[in-house]
Amino acid sequence: MSDNIPIWRIKYHPKSLDQICGREEIIERLNQIIKLKNFPHLLFVGTEGIGKTTISYLFSKKFLGKSFDANLKLIYANVPLSDEERKQAKSEAYISTSKIGSLAGKRITMPAFIQVKVKPFVQLKVLGGAPFKILIVKNFEALDLNQQGFRRLMEIYGTNCRMILITTKISNIIDPIVSRCQIFLIPRVELKSFNNLILDIAENESLKISNETIEILYKISGGRFSRAIDLLQLSSITGNVIDKNKLYENYQMFQNDLIKSLLMMALKGDFPKTRELARKILSNYKYSTHELFKLLLDELHKLPLSKYTRCKLINYIADSDFRALAARDADIQISALLSKICLFSEYL
Amino acid sequence: MSNVSKIPWVEKYRPKSLKEMALPTARVRSQKVRVDEELKNFVENFFIERNQINKENTKIRNFNRTAIEKEQREEIKISPEKAAVLLEGPPGIGKTSIVYALANDLNMEVIETNASDTRTRATLERKLKETTKTRGIMDFITQSKEKIILIDEIDGIYGVQDRGAIPTVIDLIQNTQFPIIMCSNEYKTNLQPIYNKIRRFEVRPLPKKEVTKIIHNILKKEKITSIKEEDLELLIEKNNGDLRGIINDLQGIGQGNVEEDAKKLILSLHRDSIEEIFSLIRDLFQVSSLREARSLTDKSDVDYNFLYKWINENLPTFIKSNREIAEAYENLSLADEIFGRIRINQYWGLLPYFFDLFAGGVALSRKETPAPKGFRSVTFPRYTSGSYFSLSSAEKELIEKIRKRYEISPIEFIQNFLPFLKILCGTSRKQLKNVSDWLDLDAKEKKFLK
Repeated sequence: MSDNIPIWRIKYHPKSLDQICGREEIIERLNQIIKLKNFPHLLFVGTEGIGKTTISYLFSKKFLGKSFDANLKLIYANVPLSDEERKQAKSEAYISTSKIGSLAGKRITMPAFIQVKVKPFVQLKVLGGAPFKILIVKNFEALDLNQQGFRRLMEIYGTNCRMILITTKISNIIDPIVSRCQIFLIPRVELKSFNNLILDIAENESLKISNETIEILYKISGGRFSRAIDLLQLSSITGNVIDKNKLYENYQMFQNDLIKSLLMMALKGDFPKTRELARKILSNYKYSTHELFKLLLDELHKLPLSKYTRCKLINYIADSDFRALAARDADIQISALLSKICLFSEYL
Repeated sequence: MSNVSKIPWVEKYRPKSLKEMALPTARVRSQKVRVDEELKNFVENFFIERNQINKENTKIRNFNRTAIEKEQREEIKISPEKAAVLLEGPPGIGKTSIVYALANDLNMEVIETNASDTRTRATLERKLKETTKTRGIMDFITQSKEKIILIDEIDGIYGVQDRGAIPTVIDLIQNTQFPIIMCSNEYKTNLQPIYNKIRRFEVRPLPKKEVTKIIHNILKKEKITSIKEEDLELLIEKNNGDLRGIINDLQGIGQGNVEEDAKKLILSLHRDSIEEIFSLIRDLFQVSSLREARSLTDKSDVDYNFLYKWINENLPTFIKSNREIAEAYENLSLADEIFGRIRINQYWGLLPYFFDLFAGGVALSRKETPAPKGFRSVTFPRYTSGSYFSLSSAEKELIEKIRKRYEISPIEFIQNFLPFLKILCGTSRKQLKNVSDWLDLDAKEKKFLK
């Protein structure tokens, strides 16, 4: 591993399939596939940040061998299209009048995402010696109804291009897609292998860390390597010895605290300040309205509140989220929720 | 009051020729051009082109008359780019005047249609197509003037009454016998099909120096001496390059009671839309009945699309108690939801609820506390909703640089990785240097990480 990279999560990012630790069973299955030189569409399921993308990316790299650059594409279903891409989709959807056929001069309606990002790639022929191309779609569940567009694509272009779909929630994926894929369930890393990896890093960076501390790290990072390594690096700046106080201190600097303070501020009842904070969070972290409401809900479960309060607040959040589905202005809906919580705080 | 005239000054001093006119600057695809020359060339080229095409078409027609159906040829049409242009710019800077002056110079007639006409497919066709498609026998006998078609205020094509107007305009552009010049105030998405086909001139307001010159000229001709220099300055400033507005104001002062303090008069003339919104918002939070609120919003010509965002922004300034804020937001958020459903499902029947809720519902939620006294400053809506995931250019560049070395999605980057990077770089200068050296960052991006 090169030593010059100042960010540990990148420095210790696995470079090949065999470097991934704690996934012996899955790696073995994938290696078997590579030997056979063939696989159906795959569906990777597992919670956030546990390495689904890394595994699928490195697997594809190994599978495609030398020609992986031209035959592999990784796309994110939850990243909205930019304005240019939207425009492109619009202009491409128009079939020129000079073409022959009943569709000439008409617009075909196809989801812009598939139009711009998926179709051009899957339609192109395989380059180099690879058996087929591989398309990795991350956060597949974010496609919602556009998933329908994938059904036929997977069949028509299946021989040319295999897809690896990655998702955190299999329940949000429509049945026809699930039935077309081989499912890989990727569990959270076990503490034992997590322990080994952290110890490796500690040895490499000459850190002192006890097994109990690693256990705490495992707990607060939720088994996510990238988060854990981030925390480790931050803690290491002030000294070589890592203890749990340092970890908690650094953990509090992360974003979930902002949501918590937003909720706390709303419960204090100062509306103008609360709205200011909410806007700041939104502009810094680019959450959608729904994401913000969900984070608030998550935070609500962690706070020590009475049963009645909790239910009431959940009711408010649910109502606002439901309204926001149809509403035009996100800021109004968020302000409405915050004003309700501010009012509610007066009865506490 | 000697100089009371029947025609408004705006018409009186409308330039008769391009030569005597102060020409605004214009841009085409962000390149500076001279509007007068470009337009003149456009009109002249159009007629040359048209005559050629007409000759060709006569030949084709004659040929078709004798040929069997299989071999018949299609008549050629003039390309849209050569048939029409669009002038786009703020009101009152001389877009319409240019066209009339040009027509005058070239000895042509102007056929105008503007937002005061209902522009449904049928009416537009009736008015324009007759003159554009067929040229009557009388035209050849009397050698009548050539014509320019002016479609003014094309951004005013709107709503149910003007249904089908845009396809008609496009159709017109493709079949016209006369050059078409369109004017519009702002970029409108529903005009996109037109923009794609033709050249768009972005006309800029006149520089202040030119405006002052014109104003002095008019004052001299009207023999008005009672207006002070600094008041003129104020007038020009207030109208923000809108020459028509300035001349209208000037006429108001010149023909009104001149002895009265001129400054007061100028300031009492409301034309500035921002100021109008400001006072509307202030008034709205003072009302005591639903009817008052409705009449306020009905009377103003502020676009309700924006108005309720203004209310959202300024609500906490005028309403203070938590109970009332919550109540106001209950109404406002419901109004917003209704508006959303109207737009999604076209339930326009729901619109009355929207108006009552966002104006009256908000204003009347103040029950216990008295109406706010004294002056309160109104602020612009700062939060713009819409595409929620829009990145700044600094963020975009940073993502590009990192993605060369580490595959990460933009969302994951903003929500998880960037906060970490900021904390890491904030701990010490050494860390910042390490990171920036590795990523090859410039000073601006470094600052962003701090």
